[in-house]
Amino acid sequence: MTGSLRSALASMVSEGTLIPQEERGRWTGPGWSPELPSAVVAPTREDELAGILGKASEEGWRVLPAGFGSWIRGGGPREVDLVLSTRRMTRILEYEPADLTFTAEAGISLGSLHDITSPHGQWLPLDPPGGSKGSLGATVVLGAAGPLRHHYGTPRDHVLGLTLVAGDGRVLRWGGRVVKNVAGFDLTRLTVGSWGALGIVTSVSARLFPIPESDVTMVFCASEVAELLPAARSMALSPLPLAAVELVDSLALEEHGVPEAALLVRLLGSTPQVEEMASRITNDLQDSGGRTLKLQGDRSRALFQKLEGWEDGAGLVARLSMLPSELGTLLEEAEGLRPLATGWSDPGATMSLSAQVGTGVLRLKISDLPGTAERLDPWIIAFRDLRGRLEEKGGSLVLHSGPSVLMEEVGPWGAPGLERHLLEGLKAEFDPAGILARGRFGLE
Amino acid sequence: MKALPPNLLEELAAAVGPDWVISDPDRLLVYESDAQTAHNVAPQAVVLPSDTDQASQVARVLHRHQIPLVPRGAGTGLSGGALATRGGVVVGTSRMNKILEVDPSNRRAVVQSGVLNTDLSDATAPHGLHYAPDPSSQAACTIGGNVAENSGGPHCLKYGVTSRYITGLRVVLPDGTTVWLGGQGREAPSFDLVGLFVGSEGCFGLATEVEVALTPLPEAVETLLAIFETLEDAGRAVTSIVSAGLLPAALEIVDRNTIKAVEASIFAAGYPTDAGAALVVEFDGVEAGLAEEAEKAEEFCKAAGAREVRRAESAEERLALWKGRKKAFGTMGRLAPDLLVQDATVPRTRLPEVLASIAEIADRYQLQVANVFHAGDGNLHPNIVFDRRDAEETRRVEAASKEIMGVCVDAGGTITGEHGVGADKQKYMHLVFSPGELEVLRRVKGVFDPDGRCNPGKVVPEDEAPSEAGPNERTEAKS
Ligand SMILES: Cc1cc2nc3c(=O)[nH]c(=O)nc-3n(C[C@H](O)[C@H](O)[C@H](O)COP(=O)(O)OP(=O)(O)OC[C@H]3O[C@@H](n4cnc5c(N)ncnc54)[C@H](O)[C@@H]3O)c2cc1C
Repeated sequence: MTGSLRSALASMVSEGTLIPQEERGRWTGPGWSPELPSAVVAPTREDELAGILGKASEEGWRVLPAGFGSWIRGGGPREVDLVLSTRRMTRILEYEPADLTFTAEAGISLGSLHDITSPHGQWLPLDPPGGSKGSLGATVVLGAAGPLRHHYGTPRDHVLGLTLVAGDGRVLRWGGRVVKNVAGFDLTRLTVGSWGALGIVTSVSARLFPIPESDVTMVFCASEVAELLPAARSMALSPLPLAAVELVDSLALEEHGVPEAALLVRLLGSTPQVEEMASRITNDLQDSGGRTLKLQGDRSRALFQKLEGWEDGAGLVARLSMLPSELGTLLEEAEGLRPLATGWSDPGATMSLSAQVGTGVLRLKISDLPGTAERLDPWIIAFRDLRGRLEEKGGSLVLHSGPSVLMEEVGPWGAPGLERHLLEGLKAEFDPAGILARGRFGLE
Repeated sequence: MKALPPNLLEELAAAVGPDWVISDPDRLLVYESDAQTAHNVAPQAVVLPSDTDQASQVARVLHRHQIPLVPRGAGTGLSGGALATRGGVVVGTSRMNKILEVDPSNRRAVVQSGVLNTDLSDATAPHGLHYAPDPSSQAACTIGGNVAENSGGPHCLKYGVTSRYITGLRVVLPDGTTVWLGGQGREAPSFDLVGLFVGSEGCFGLATEVEVALTPLPEAVETLLAIFETLEDAGRAVTSIVSAGLLPAALEIVDRNTIKAVEASIFAAGYPTDAGAALVVEFDGVEAGLAEEAEKAEEFCKAAGAREVRRAESAEERLALWKGRKKAFGTMGRLAPDLLVQDATVPRTRLPEVLASIAEIADRYQLQVANVFHAGDGNLHPNIVFDRRDAEETRRVEAASKEIMGVCVDAGGTITGEHGVGADKQKYMHLVFSPGELEVLRRVKGVFDPDGRCNPGKVVPEDEAPSEAGPNERTEAKS
């Protein structure tokens, strides 16, 4: 199809939209079919993007929406003829600091956005994996959030409106730029976290927050994560407005080369408020055992910036979630996989984990896993069993990325229940030709 | 509207028990309107299930006979949402009022949808927790109604509206199927169906159980009331407070007409009746530093021209400062027999000009508007007092409302911030949606409700002309 798809596109798009063929290698993932997409396009205008999607629906070209391409493997997409990137749509469409809201095109990076709002003392408090390098659109469409979710929530709580170009090229504007809006059904919320399966988001309006005066992170160290469990639980239940509570199994702080388990409690607010909270939690956790550090300002920020890159280069990333009170179970389940990882190869693959204590989400990464089918068998069995156990207790396992055999055999998400027909009906409404993000939800 | 099939009432009674099926016309009158009394349509019957199973059986019976199903909570809605405007049966949640689980170790609760908003917060208070969204009607409205309307409240400025706090829903779909959407501890295997259901105004199904996230009660609260000569000054104070990076929990304004109504009532709150506006500012959170924030806000109010700023020194004083705001809707009845509670949102910076336009429109139509609003969110309630028996005045109210909606939309705002579209605002939907977008809304409803029987005739205007008025319909809700 490559030749015909490419020439059909070349005749309809403007200069620069079609990315040179030799750059396609950046825009592919393990186990994709075809191995390389036939073309990669990055339009600058919404109408052009809509035209491309309309044509793709007519022709049956299977499209994977993308921002900068750093997350395109996420959720295990498989059949991709065309990658459609928003990376050249980077304009700020509206920014009124006194309203604490903005509207921007989807391809702007979170970092560039921050550069524009921070001089006004404002920020979008999202620190998803990949951090400031990620595009606004991808962050919203993946519903991606990091440690700050503890206090500030996820994109679903910040986005006020967006433009969605549906699979067949219809341009649909949902919500607006006001903070409260209940006109019509909430299709903004439906789109946030839809993983590109409904359409391509081309612009986003969201709410900003004042940048807090003071930024402090309290670090409680121990030799094993399990030792920090009681402290972590007590922070999850603290009545104080903590900004983030993260439990990690191997934190390498510059001052001490050795990685240690650590509980990180980030405090944001006015200086008196933050100081008060710091002293109260230090008091509460004085029996937690290990060393305690207090990182102020830039050092606090830098630590969390580093955590944003936690998933970079991982061979597999999985998210285990349960009710927060089951954090201990999650830790045990994750530890149960460690022997599999260390016994994997020579030298053994490394496994690490990072848990959002307040929301009951534990992320697990494995440095690298060779992709041959037989060697992956034990992993396939282990993840299937694990998903079964978690789902039985009301939790879930999401495989964000990993070797294609594993993604295919285990499936990125668990199976939907009786609501499946609702998901299929919505998918059919927005993407009637079934061309978008195939493989991600098993809904094609 | 066709008559109900002969054996329908018996079948419903078999599902819920004969006491809980209402068909006596006198008793049905209770259900003919919600708190927006402009619309009156009695349903053909009302049925009150006590749990999900019963609700599911009821839905199956209605599905078999293809009869419209209209969910109803406490009926405090302000857009005619819970009315059977196309005939059919109202399914009320008043018996589904049990708190099923309070789980402080996960800061969550599971409740039946008919539980009252304040009952939930009262039940969780002993654990130091509350359910944050606090509509002014919270003592009367249900969690299910809040879910359906995505309700807001004064403290949603800081805490966010209902959708932020709903983590799972048990829903009886119009054909009687029961599904669980979301649920804490579970990452949705796909689209955010919980987020989509919240705000669906009873058009997608009946929520029977709701899982909510609970929030710690703040350890300290600082409340102040600033009195201004003009509404504009109050608006400027709000802008400077927000621009300075302060994050109040609430920023609420009442205008001169509202103050007069409150002060003339038994709820007199001691607001000066010659004032142009009163602003309530509240901060909450950790005690350290809170008083300083309140002081800064006080300075901003004075700089914007406040002639007086009162600061609460005790819980009682705090309630007193809030009283004039909280009782505002209730006391407007004093101004005239009828009250049209309006609701729209504009970007906060556009508040001054929009308020000026609203005043101009009111003058031009010789109407009295009383403004109460969530100023921090830009959510306006320009309420129009009138006498419905006066047909000519009622027409002026309609015309003025339409212009007010236009002004808000032109300013970058929208036609409703928290009260919903219901049967009341379908006529304005084209101001904010294109025909193509309206068609998508219709079809998304169709995914949940393929037969178009769940709260029909609400939210999305229908293509075709509205159906003819039914037999016991006194005034048809226009669409
Ligand atoms: C004095 C006063 C003050 C108010 N203040 C506020 C305020 O500050 N903020 C605000 O947002 N609103 C406010 N309201 C509006 C109203 O109280 C809210 O919309 C409330 O959420 C409605 O709840 P209810 O139980 O009365 O719902 P109802 O009026 O019974 O129903 C409202 C809608 O919800 C649907 N519905 C009800 N229950 C269910 C269910 N279980 N499943 C599916 N659909 C359902 C109905 O079909 C209907 O469309 C106020 C109203 C009054 C009278």
